[in-house]
Amino acid sequence: MRSIKILLSTCLFLLVAASCNKKLDVDTNSMANESTEWKTLDDTRSNLIGVYALFRAALATNNDYWMWGELRNGDFVSTTRADLKAVIDGDLNASYSTLDEMKSWRRFYAIINAANLFIERSSEALVDPRYTTLNHDVDVAQVRALRAWAYFMMVRIWGDVPFITNSYDGQFPAIGKSDQSIVLSFCEKELVAAADILPFEYGVLDDPLLPGLYYTYGLTRFENTLISRNAAYALLAHIAAWQGHYADVDVYAQYVLDNYSNSNMYYLTTDELTDPSGVFYARGDYNQLLGFNFVYGHGETGTSGEGHLESWTLASPLITKPKPDIYVPVETINTVFTDRMDQRFGIDTLNGLPRTAYFTNYNAEIPIFSKIKVLGDGGTDGEFAIYSSAIIFSRLEEITLLKAEADAVLNKLNGVDGAIANLNLIRNKRGESSYDKEVDGDLIDAIFAERRRELMGEGWRWYDQVRYQKITNKDPDFVKLIQEGGIYWPIASSVLSANTNIQQNPYWINK
Amino acid sequence: MVKKTYTFIMNTRNLKLLIVLIALVCQTQLFGQDSTGRSKALDLFNDSKDSASGNVDSLMNLTNQSKIINELAGSNPYRAKVDTNIINRLDYVSIQQMVKGNAAGIYVAEPNGEPGSEQYMFIHGLKGPMLSKKDLYAQQPVVFLNGVPLIQNSTMPLEIQSTDFNMVGPATNLLATLNPNDIESIEVLKDPATLAKLGPIAANGAIWVQTKSAKSGEKQISIDGHFGMTQSPKVTPVNAAYENAFRQPFYEKYATAADLINYPIYLKDSTDQEYYGTADWTDLYFKNKPFYAVNMSLSGGSERANFRFQVNNTRSVSGQDGAALDRYGLAFFINMSPLTWLTVSSMINANRLDRDRNRNIRDRLAEVRYTPDLSNPLPPSYHVYSQYIHEFDEAIDDNKVNSIQGYFSVGAKLSGFSFLSKISVDYNEALRDAFWPTELLSGNNFVSYYFGYNQRFMVSNTASYEIKLDDANKIDLEAGQSYQADINKYDYAFGYNTPNNFIKFRTTKINDAGDYVGIFDMQYFPFFGKLNQRLASFYGQVNYSYKDYLKLSGVLRRDGSSNVQQDQRWITSPIVNLSWDVLKSILHESKALSNFELRASYGTFGSLYNTDIYSKGPRYVTDASWPADPAIGSYVGIAASSRPYTSGWAGYGIGWQKSEKMNLGADLGFMENRIQVSVDLYNENNKNRLLPVPVPQELGYTAAYKSGMTVNNKGVDLSVRGQIFAAGNQDQFAWTTNFNLGLNKNKITALPDGLQSVVIGDQKLEVGQSADAFWVYKNQGIYTDIAQIPVSNQTGVRQSFNGLLLNAGDPNWADLNGDNDINENDKVLTGHYMPTVTGGFGNDFSYKGFNLSFQFYFALGQKLLNQQISNRLNFINTEGSRDLNTVKEITYWQKIFDANEYPMYNPWSNVVPYQVDQDLFLEDASFVKLRSLTIGYDLTSGKNERRKKAFRSAEVYLSATNLFTVSPFKHGDPELVDYQGYYRGYNQMLPKTYTIGLRMDL
Repeated sequence: MRSIKILLSTCLFLLVAASCNKKLDVDTNSMANESTEWKTLDDTRSNLIGVYALFRAALATNNDYWMWGELRNGDFVSTTRADLKAVIDGDLNASYSTLDEMKSWRRFYAIINAANLFIERSSEALVDPRYTTLNHDVDVAQVRALRAWAYFMMVRIWGDVPFITNSYDGQFPAIGKSDQSIVLSFCEKELVAAADILPFEYGVLDDPLLPGLYYTYGLTRFENTLISRNAAYALLAHIAAWQGHYADVDVYAQYVLDNYSNSNMYYLTTDELTDPSGVFYARGDYNQLLGFNFVYGHGETGTSGEGHLESWTLASPLITKPKPDIYVPVETINTVFTDRMDQRFGIDTLNGLPRTAYFTNYNAEIPIFSKIKVLGDGGTDGEFAIYSSAIIFSRLEEITLLKAEADAVLNKLNGVDGAIANLNLIRNKRGESSYDKEVDGDLIDAIFAERRRELMGEGWRWYDQVRYQKITNKDPDFVKLIQEGGIYWPIASSVLSANTNIQQNPYWINK
Repeated sequence: MVKKTYTFIMNTRNLKLLIVLIALVCQTQLFGQDSTGRSKALDLFNDSKDSASGNVDSLMNLTNQSKIINELAGSNPYRAKVDTNIINRLDYVSIQQMVKGNAAGIYVAEPNGEPGSEQYMFIHGLKGPMLSKKDLYAQQPVVFLNGVPLIQNSTMPLEIQSTDFNMVGPATNLLATLNPNDIESIEVLKDPATLAKLGPIAANGAIWVQTKSAKSGEKQISIDGHFGMTQSPKVTPVNAAYENAFRQPFYEKYATAADLINYPIYLKDSTDQEYYGTADWTDLYFKNKPFYAVNMSLSGGSERANFRFQVNNTRSVSGQDGAALDRYGLAFFINMSPLTWLTVSSMINANRLDRDRNRNIRDRLAEVRYTPDLSNPLPPSYHVYSQYIHEFDEAIDDNKVNSIQGYFSVGAKLSGFSFLSKISVDYNEALRDAFWPTELLSGNNFVSYYFGYNQRFMVSNTASYEIKLDDANKIDLEAGQSYQADINKYDYAFGYNTPNNFIKFRTTKINDAGDYVGIFDMQYFPFFGKLNQRLASFYGQVNYSYKDYLKLSGVLRRDGSSNVQQDQRWITSPIVNLSWDVLKSILHESKALSNFELRASYGTFGSLYNTDIYSKGPRYVTDASWPADPAIGSYVGIAASSRPYTSGWAGYGIGWQKSEKMNLGADLGFMENRIQVSVDLYNENNKNRLLPVPVPQELGYTAAYKSGMTVNNKGVDLSVRGQIFAAGNQDQFAWTTNFNLGLNKNKITALPDGLQSVVIGDQKLEVGQSADAFWVYKNQGIYTDIAQIPVSNQTGVRQSFNGLLLNAGDPNWADLNGDNDINENDKVLTGHYMPTVTGGFGNDFSYKGFNLSFQFYFALGQKLLNQQISNRLNFINTEGSRDLNTVKEITYWQKIFDANEYPMYNPWSNVVPYQVDQDLFLEDASFVKLRSLTIGYDLTSGKNERRKKAFRSAEVYLSATNLFTVSPFKHGDPELVDYQGYYRGYNQMLPKTYTIGLRMDL
């Protein structure tokens, strides 16, 4: 009797007291780890796309792309936002949290780290027979180009920056700044090498450079969102221009002008430039030579408005917001747009009414800058103010004007590929008359004035002023600013406190 | 009948619970057999020699799992127990409310008066800094309901949110499922001795709740109920004229012409009756609202089997903004002893919680994630506000939680051996259905649906054996094992612009290609998350007792968690305890003393991670979004993957966090235990804690998670309970007093990598400082003139703030390091948001059937940062801002402070003079509250024999809660601070309530 009881009780105990160790190995579905990553084509695809996504996020956060490029000393003024006003005024030490984030370069280094890691690790996936060497080479070329681009963006903003080409995966050495010329010459080398491998387009079955679908997707998926050979050359042109190497700019930019049709690009009409479903629309066409888009249908636009200039510039009557955060004042509009026939903005000589493709409510106290207004999925419904406009770094018109700028500096004024021809190409496309020295002044002035009009709101204004002053030395204050390093941004305290090898840019101590 | 009830509460969706149901059905049948004469087959095993007394109640005691803790809990039964007589006549709905101020060593934060909203508990202080809400969740103690550890929400949904005011879903307090009248006891477990057998799950301490148990004998019916009203608080509503008068001086003194153009439109026009009219919104927002509770329980049974059944319906309200909580509860307990050496026991506790949530704009927009134009706030007029409320008629805001806990245990007792085997299940599911019509979101509507569940399945077994060596020496051996599997899961989808306010979902059709496509252009976003967590534990215990005064016990346990990396998955932890009854061993007899026992215990516990992200070493995630839109996962529609740059690197070698606890205690009893005092000193080192340490940003990461932080907590718990006048019979005067106090101080004693200090976001952690210290600039007034601003001797440049030169109208912040620039290095760690002293005291008087009791609650020594006033003064930057932390609710229109208390800075200055992180906004948040007052009358007292026959007991009572607060903080209720010590002013006040109630046992 007793033994039965003991037996029964022991069974009861043993029934559930089984070995548990195996049970503690639980799969997670929220993340991948070292044992699962870099094994297949799917891993390289998602990590390649990851670099692009990090880049887009770096520019979209707080609309920093425009904080860096458009606002400072620019055409826009702020209505009520003190943080934007501080940037416009160049008070970059002001105590707003949005400015703190803008002064941190961490997001760029996330791109660079992801790129370094991709370059180091992606070949592991070649064990997957679907992952071809060509595919891998093109992937690595893109990532190298993206890394170079990220460095270039940083050099424009902060000047000298730490130069890192190793992922140090899991280690965190404190690396000091390198001279910007070293960084930029690396970028040039990288881009030249990458350009050799990059195709003009992705996912075309009979493409001579990269035949077949790309990661199972065809050309209509990508259009020009991935880095093409033309994009690499456009970037090379800009890197050379920033350093004043205009002879190189001439060559690089000319390459794009010779080959743009291979990437399905063409010169935009003013309508295509300002239409809600035009060039700024995420899946509008192929004319985003270099840029990042936010595909509405894939839920990439977000609902905060960040990453889209519209969240600052649009207001009633286009959307329900009564006042925009920033606007171009009437006086500035009238100074900038001088040609009455300009389709972007001009006063019709016959009826005296403004032609306002760029602006809405020109006659109001606060005109609305409505060049970019991609509401929803490329629509116009302003009640639900979600935007899907792309961040465009460069397009064909931009690179044409850069070519003109180079030729103007190099004094190659005339001829088919000369500065005047390229300037007039853009001017005439916008309804302006051809360049006339009597009316438009110096050629270099006319080219930069055209850039100011054409690229308004595209994040170029600040850098254009820097290049213009470097060429012309016209404004002594600005020249002084360049000499003192004031054209660079202060470095965020979060960056400085985490790495004692980095010092604040000296201009920003006590400003 | 019983079966029927179960099918009623069962949600058909939950197949998993069927197991429990089947077990119960089996039992019910056994039970039936039992009452009609037990099965003969069972009797075969019956052995009268082993039978204890043959009574199920005494058998239960032999095998009951509650023994696990009570045995070691010391000789003062009131040491860490909540006096149920205090709480059972009050309208408390959550465990947190019941514990608050009623037991030493626990601090309860009730940051919101909204019924059913989340509340937080801390046993013996902070275990680590509160960098985010995840840390708050990770530090909560575990609550055991009749031995079943209750599962809580995971923090997964925070990943897809840019704000953390509320988690998506109903955000209901899962501990609001018990009715005070059904509770037998609530005990706060905090020393290593009592936590020893509970293991890692209780590393943050535990709350041990026992409900009233089944009782054999005649069937007993208990009925109680209360009905009450809230009382609207007194506030001073204001209109735009007040706000205008507040702002004008700033404009007169500092504004430029351009600034005047930007004067807010709603303040511009003083003839606008909506803004400048009577501020009578309070009549709609605050309402005296009724609430109630009814409970019924039935218990009874035969000698060998008994049961208890209870039902409950409770409504709790705040009297503000229509917020309410409805609870429907049902519980069933069965114990039986089919054989004289075997007991079977089970519980089912099921609850349904429905919440009517607030109508805050901030909370709604946080969920909507789309911020429309906010430049014109809701006006203070009754008329417009009532129209606004009317818009909610079309809205849907359903928040439901279904929760069910159950266990099935089998215990056996055989000469010396006892076994207990238990299967426990805790399952709760949360549903939220939200729809905001177009009128509430400037022409857009919003729809969201949330379904999430938390499920815990636990199997535990213990076996113990008693050896009596001789009369003096006795040894108890015990071995135990448990396995716990948790699943947290949620599915969530939201979308904008359904076809119209009547069709609230995405409509689809089949296109020519045979695919389902949307008919209307509607953007919607689906999300899901699932977390699997498992914990396996083994322990062995040896208890040695010498005579009746010395007890020594040692526990050795080994625990494995799925959230820890494979090579460090298992942790071994020892716990020892010694208790010595001084009275019995030395003093033998004393006139004054009736009890004197000393206790000492020490032990380490593995401390669990509440996430699995550290379990696999370096990981790859989707890091494609930016802070304002945290849930973007693709580029050109292709999923992105990368290292977790934004959330931080977590590599290999992340092992267990540990909590090393030490406790010295003394229990004293005087005058035949009429006065019982317990004092406990504790020292707790929370070691090897994980911290996201900032790393050089040039590798792309915000931080790297590193182990090695230690946070020390030292403190004293004191509890006193005295029967000053003990009544011989109920007609005499009796007076009982209670007092409890917890003194706690935390300190960071080590940081990872030997760091001395680290700055994470707006917090600074420094070795030697407390983990909850505020890090602020020292404000010394104002520079009214540029000449007052110090000028550097070396450069001749005047003082700057973070590199920006100061001007007249800017604050005079202390330049502590003398470098003539005010920056992070000039911030000081001062004050802290966890109270140094918490506790409560109260008295209970009774005379001739009447009784009066009241209870105070206090928390002293903590500070708060007043974000609300900072926002008000910083009106230039908060006006029309899209930052949800500055949204103006209807409650904006009240007077909360006097502007003259603050210096008049230039609000347009780029140094942001009214930024919150300065000691200008640091205020003392100590308080003492009269939390409850109750007057009762026992209807069976006196000579009324008829009543005595009719009722076993009967009582009517009146009670009131939250009657008054004494505090140096004058800008609101100092309790309503968030988990990082900020007073934001968005939360509802703790309501004043008045209740009349009746309790009777038939």
